[in-house]
Amino acid sequence: MSHIIRANNLVKSFTKGLRALDDISMVVNKQEVLVVMGPSGSGKSTLIRTFNGLETFDSGKLEVVGVPLYSNHDERNIRAIRRKVGMVFQQFNLFPHLSILENIILAPMKVQKLTRIEAEEHAMHLLSQMGITKQARKYPSQLSGGEQQRVAIARALALKPELLLFDEPTSALDPERVNEVLDAMRTLAQKGMTMVVVTHEVGFAREVADRVLFMDSGKLIEMTTPDIFFSNAKHERSRKFLNQIEK
Amino acid sequence: MFSNLINSLVVISIVFIFLFSLLLVFKWLLFSSQWGVVTQNLPLYAFGVFPVDQRWRPCLWLLILAFLSIVTIFKPRWSWFGKVLPIAWVGVIPLGVGLLSGGLGLLPVESRHWGGFTLTILLMSCSALLAFPLGIMFAIGRQSKLPLIKYFSALYIDALRAVPLISILFFGQLLIPLFLPLGVEINRVSRAVISFTLFVAAYIAEDIRGGWQAIPNSQLEASKALGLSQAQTIRFIILPQALTIALPALTNQAIGLLQNTSLMSILGLVELLGISRSILANPVFIGRYIEVYVWLAGIYWVICTVMALLLRQLEEKVSIQRRIRKNV
Ligand SMILES: Nc1ncnc2c1ncn2[C@@H]1O[C@H](COP(=O)(O)OP(=O)(O)OP(=O)(O)O)[C@@H](O)[C@H]1O
Ligand SMILES: [Mg+2]
Repeated sequence: MSHIIRANNLVKSFTKGLRALDDISMVVNKQEVLVVMGPSGSGKSTLIRTFNGLETFDSGKLEVVGVPLYSNHDERNIRAIRRKVGMVFQQFNLFPHLSILENIILAPMKVQKLTRIEAEEHAMHLLSQMGITKQARKYPSQLSGGEQQRVAIARALALKPELLLFDEPTSALDPERVNEVLDAMRTLAQKGMTMVVVTHEVGFAREVADRVLFMDSGKLIEMTTPDIFFSNAKHERSRKFLNQIEK
Repeated sequence: MFSNLINSLVVISIVFIFLFSLLLVFKWLLFSSQWGVVTQNLPLYAFGVFPVDQRWRPCLWLLILAFLSIVTIFKPRWSWFGKVLPIAWVGVIPLGVGLLSGGLGLLPVESRHWGGFTLTILLMSCSALLAFPLGIMFAIGRQSKLPLIKYFSALYIDALRAVPLISILFFGQLLIPLFLPLGVEINRVSRAVISFTLFVAAYIAEDIRGGWQAIPNSQLEASKALGLSQAQTIRFIILPQALTIALPALTNQAIGLLQNTSLMSILGLVELLGISRSILANPVFIGRYIEVYVWLAGIYWVICTVMALLLRQLEEKVSIQRRIRKNV
């Protein structure tokens, strides 16, 4: 049992007839970094959001961190998954009324029932890992985008997750801020964190990803190593997409 | 040219009318007003017909309130005080009820002897204290996923907002006794507070809903993704933000609540307006309407101003901007 996500024939449509997920079957292994790519509207966000129950699906079966999930979306199973899976959003989604430290310790204190002292100790450790210890007492609006996103990563790490999901973590950042976030993610990958990352950053995918998943119109087109995908993609659609983003 | 002429004419006539009214006011103040109706009845305005030898009790309560207001507005730099203050403000309201009604060694005083400024403040603060949590409950209920709770809350809010306060107050006086088991009686003041609470809670719920809807869905997703439950999300993510956004509207509710306490005089409670009317009914003070109503307007104005200042402090306290300023 080395897989951490197993999806069998996932189907989801928001509007009748249009499939945002079209019969997706896939496996993500432990300690793997999977990069998800595809054109806008191809269903990348929908896919990774089903992995922690933010999105429902119509049919198929999903198993995440050992917890099964069917189309009836048992609330208890979803919460069991969320306790072990962290998520980082494109727009950071920090809580503006809480300080950086409070943002990070909220879930450990309320979900895992840690004491404030334990939670703060761990939070400070995570912040120093992200290189932003000095900002602990500030509020999100006082931080740059790159710093906010690193706080968001620290917050996602606070529950000691087995899996981290990233939905375009650098798309909302100024170009000169992108690398500080990618570096943090690279470090996590080196430490053996399992990650599923939706991103358009080809450099990151080439260097860090173990495999690349390419989607189009809700379908899984191919799932292969970055070497093959970027130099020798099998499918016409993948090649077209790569041409577009390399321009 | 022409428009200039009209402008000047308008300005001149406004100044003229203003000066003329000022003159009339001064004439009245200097030659015809008689303030005996106010000065001779100060204790009545303050305490109503509270037994004379027990007046120290409402007096003590008002002094505590005044003290709390002053420390809140002028913020001395005592470190313990930030934490104690909210508790003190909540605690002072039941304390007032206790002081006025007596018991625990104090001589019991029936609520029909309460009155004046004290009663106005008591009606307002008790209703506000009760209506706030109730309003939050209805606001949460309205967002509930359970249809029964959701529709009941929505129905309640819409129904109460569709009915004028004065009819709710009359209903309250007549209906509340019918709902109580035989033998249990509650006094007019409590009935008034209950009606008020039920009424204001609907408006508070609407104000909070306004704040609630201003919170982007991404906040809820972030909270869910962290594994927080529905209740925890409401408690730690939604309510703090929604209440902060709703606070200016809630301040308005509080001031409206104060002014609406004057409707109680129609139901025979002798709060500020009620006691003033009974003073005016005294043949000794016949015809002194203007003095009394000017005096009343002044008192209401002072209470409103103090309330506005206090709530301004609260707004400051919860504003993220201020926390940020404190930080840097
Ligand atoms: N909440 C929703 N309601 C209706 N349709 C939706 C919703 N979310 C997504 N869709 C549709 O589902 C499809 C997949 O959307 P999704 O957001 O997963 O794409 P994406 O690959 O993440 O695109 P992008 O790169 O722009 O983020 C799109 O056609 C989109 O219009
Ligand atoms: Mg997307």
